[in-house]
Amino acid sequence: MARDEDSTSVAPKSSDEQGSPPDSTADATEDPSRRGFLSRLGGIGMGAGLAVSYGAVGAMAVRYLYPAKPTPTNWLFVADLVSFAKGTSMTYTAPTGAPVVIARKGDAGTADDFVALSSTCPHLGCRVHWEGQNKRFYCPCHNGTFDPDGTATGGPPKTAGQSLPRYPLKVEAGLLYIEVPTEKLG
Amino acid sequence: MTLERKRIVIVIMSGAFIASLLFVQWMEVLRKREELGKGQAHVSVPTASKDCVDCHQKSTAGIVEHWRGSTHAKKGVACVDCHTAAEGDADAYQHYGALIATIVTPRDCSRCHADVANEFAASHHAKGGNILASLDNVLAENVEGARMMFSPHAPTPGKTVDKVNGFAPLNSGCKQCHGSRVALESIDGSSITVNELAPGPDGKPTKSDVVSKIAKNKDGVPILTAATWPNSGIGRINLDGSLGSCSACHSRHDFSPRRARQPENCGKCHMGPDHPQKEIYEESKHGVAFRDLREKMNLDSPTWILGKDYSEAPTCATCHMSGNMRNGGKITHDPGQRISWTNRPPVSLVMDTDKDHKVITELDPEKRRALTVDTADQKRTRMKEVCGHCHTPDYVSNFYKQYDDLVIHFNEKFARPGQTIMAALRKNEMLTTREFDEPIEWTWYYLWHHEGRRARHGASMMAPDYTQWHGMYEVAERFYVEFIPEAQGLAREAADHGRKEQADAVLAVISGILEKPEHVWYVEERKKKEEAERAKAEAAGKETKEAKAEKKP
Amino acid sequence: MAFLAEWIRERLPVDGDKLRSLTNEPVPNHMKRWWFALGGTPAYLFIVQIVTGILLAFYYEPSSKTAYESVRYITDEAAYGWYLRSIHKWGATLMIASVILHQTRIFFTGAYRKPRDINWMVGMTILLCTLVIGFTGYSLVFEQLSFWGATVGANIADNVPVLGPLMKRVMLGGDVYNDRTLSRFFMLHAAVLPVLLMILIAIHIAIIRIQGVTEMKFADDDAKKPHFNFFPDHIYTEIIMGLIVMIVLSTLATVLPATLGPRADPLTTPEVIKPEWFFYVAFRWLKLFSGTLAILSMGFVVFLMYAWPRIDDYLRRRFKMGEVSVWVGIAGAFAIIGLTIWEAAVAH
Repeated sequence: MARDEDSTSVAPKSSDEQGSPPDSTADATEDPSRRGFLSRLGGIGMGAGLAVSYGAVGAMAVRYLYPAKPTPTNWLFVADLVSFAKGTSMTYTAPTGAPVVIARKGDAGTADDFVALSSTCPHLGCRVHWEGQNKRFYCPCHNGTFDPDGTATGGPPKTAGQSLPRYPLKVEAGLLYIEVPTEKLG
Repeated sequence: MTLERKRIVIVIMSGAFIASLLFVQWMEVLRKREELGKGQAHVSVPTASKDCVDCHQKSTAGIVEHWRGSTHAKKGVACVDCHTAAEGDADAYQHYGALIATIVTPRDCSRCHADVANEFAASHHAKGGNILASLDNVLAENVEGARMMFSPHAPTPGKTVDKVNGFAPLNSGCKQCHGSRVALESIDGSSITVNELAPGPDGKPTKSDVVSKIAKNKDGVPILTAATWPNSGIGRINLDGSLGSCSACHSRHDFSPRRARQPENCGKCHMGPDHPQKEIYEESKHGVAFRDLREKMNLDSPTWILGKDYSEAPTCATCHMSGNMRNGGKITHDPGQRISWTNRPPVSLVMDTDKDHKVITELDPEKRRALTVDTADQKRTRMKEVCGHCHTPDYVSNFYKQYDDLVIHFNEKFARPGQTIMAALRKNEMLTTREFDEPIEWTWYYLWHHEGRRARHGASMMAPDYTQWHGMYEVAERFYVEFIPEAQGLAREAADHGRKEQADAVLAVISGILEKPEHVWYVEERKKKEEAERAKAEAAGKETKEAKAEKKP
Repeated sequence: MAFLAEWIRERLPVDGDKLRSLTNEPVPNHMKRWWFALGGTPAYLFIVQIVTGILLAFYYEPSSKTAYESVRYITDEAAYGWYLRSIHKWGATLMIASVILHQTRIFFTGAYRKPRDINWMVGMTILLCTLVIGFTGYSLVFEQLSFWGATVGANIADNVPVLGPLMKRVMLGGDVYNDRTLSRFFMLHAAVLPVLLMILIAIHIAIIRIQGVTEMKFADDDAKKPHFNFFPDHIYTEIIMGLIVMIVLSTLATVLPATLGPRADPLTTPEVIKPEWFFYVAFRWLKLFSGTLAILSMGFVVFLMYAWPRIDDYLRRRFKMGEVSVWVGIAGAFAIIGLTIWEAAVAH
């Protein structure tokens, strides 16, 4: 290791070297056009290579930040078709605690006989509740109202022509299943 | 290094970096794929049963863990769905906010599994609790046990024993396989069963005066008679009128189909000296193959169809219940549907069944035909559908010929003769009316109930050792060395007591049987010897007479 | 580009030429040699750690109840979570290794001598902060060794005379590891120390720029052009170093990814408790000498390191020992390596 005794001093700042960058290219003797093309190719290649590689890492980071899985849901047993009469309804409580009103309209024995209404107001997400005396669903946030089918009858949801969201249902071997979210907060 | 070269190095290194990132991407894809494969076992507790699970997870964790591994759990069927009781049920009670019953009967299961429950209800399995009207019942209640509570012989150190339960052998033995008659304690000390409750078609009792006498503990829970519960006998007679117990085969609380497909499951009851089906299966080539190829047999598959999900070896379930490719994959919960001989009685019967799934005992061919809804041949054909997955038709028919021959041989050489001799003894008053109080009754019982059944079952499932050494050899020994001498002894004893006519009648029956070609080996040499001696004696007597006559001048 | 420059110039008093001259520092020729780029490497790794650390913090929960589960979520469920966590873990090791290598280079090339002794002290502080940030980072995983390492570390700090108990209580937020300890470690690791490091690194680089890099003259250097440009020449070198670092990190992350050991259990002490590799030398030292003596001697060694420029100057002037630092450095390096390997090789 060669060491200079004077290396303790600050490097001299000669004025001609201070600011102006000397020639960046070392080989001034090459053919200008070829040199220019190669250098530009090199430059583009470099830029592209760096952009793609670091860009890929960036894309991975973005994907990482995006939720890994959709909200976990599951098909859960509700009732057997025989004991669920046409014209009746029941309240099913999902594992998250959310109440779902399930009503049977027809008796064909398929999932189309049933409707499962979520109690989340389509306006801004507050929880609606059933008013027995008025035979309607009522949302306390902005006075939205819905008929027993879930169609909006008053308030902002009516203006927007919305209705209560429905949960998917299926019938298998004479048994009714509903697809509900299962993860409880906390 | 010039700038140019540095730029090129950067290009190359970026390329290497991108290559490593491609590897990262591949690993991520693999991870996601693996996650997808694992992700499906997701059990969420339905809200209605959440309290049950939270508490029982601590108090009886085994039940909850079993349940978690079940298909019920995956589909969101939990505690309340099965244990829920209706208002008015005899055994219903309030338990931390839910109206439930402890015992889940086939009626409860049929709410969702109606077809299977109905099929099971029609089967002989469901009628297993009807042992009470059979000989076995006498054995358990009189011979082994006592039809009463009786006083102990002497005090038991360390325990206070006032009365001895004479029904204990019945309760812990027979009824644990056959099923108990579920009883509730009554406030007047008696028992309340389905007979007293007289449930209607909805399972609810119709006799309110009986219901009002049901004894309850301090929490309001009806008290189940200890002798009758716990019990998962397959023919359990339930309080709601339904017969049977689904959990006999589909053990709770995971109700595992995998377990029900394996011979050990059936083997809980179908084993032992009087019907060693499990041991016979294990001896047979089927059992040997199963033991070896078990892991390849896809036991966890949701459907378990022979020829589609597995083909390596049959288990009990394969032949007697499971679906196969030739019957459209249809399972039956009535094993009787595929059985052509019933080897239960002393004399095996051809399984022509009537509309109630009962074996027709009618002898007249015309009457038989009129009653028959499902013939033995139809049943055999259903069984042959299973055999045909591995065996050619000739192989199968020849086997059935071997089997038929053995059953009929046993019937005709030992069973019917035995029955005839026993009938003769009874008719001629050489036996008391009480069963099992004389040695010959035991002898006869062993012959058809134990050894005879072993031989027939052994033949039915190709277990030669059970057919021969545990079977026909022992039948023959029992017949010739014990049964016949005992019967003859009884006759001679009657003769000694002056009942010569009856004794002769019985001896005639016995010798009539023994002189038949199939039995004559037993008697012919001795007979010849006796004849020779008599002839000798006669000849000697004649000579003496002649000599005496000659001496007279 | 020109439009942007014009837009800025209309609002801020920035002179393009002055800016160019300020940043385009002439780099001495010796820095064309690759092993002189060891200063930029830890800085680059620091940026990598900040980026991956911020990403990890999106899912990490610094509560003793949920920390372990959140790390599991990152490792098993978040897309590329395993990769980013592994990069962060290996980045920590490489960053500490490259800081140490950089310091070694500085030491053996005597670049710490006056007037650069001030920067040497800033660098020493950077080293200590880096070691602490490495320690606090591992405690956040809440594995067995995270918990027990933190507990043992706090107990060691307890042995410092006078301030020990205070240090321990401040570190743990109580007398023992409790539910508030983890948030402390998290704030140190993710906020306090990174900011401190950023400030120190800024000062470190500013001082270099003000004083200029120590000039080393090699025999084969171009005498006529003793300097070359920062832009783009040296930048390219640094970019290449960066790419090499990324490739090494990526490879390590895929071949030896970060795993998750058993969850911290205050009631079960694992058979073998060891700190991270960079503390092996200290751990072994503490085992050789007990309690206060060990702590004080370690403190003394750190003090010596801080004061080495002055000591070196004294030794050279007083005893005319020109190469003494080299020999001391070689001996010190062997001692540190020896103790580290010893600790690594044995269980206790």
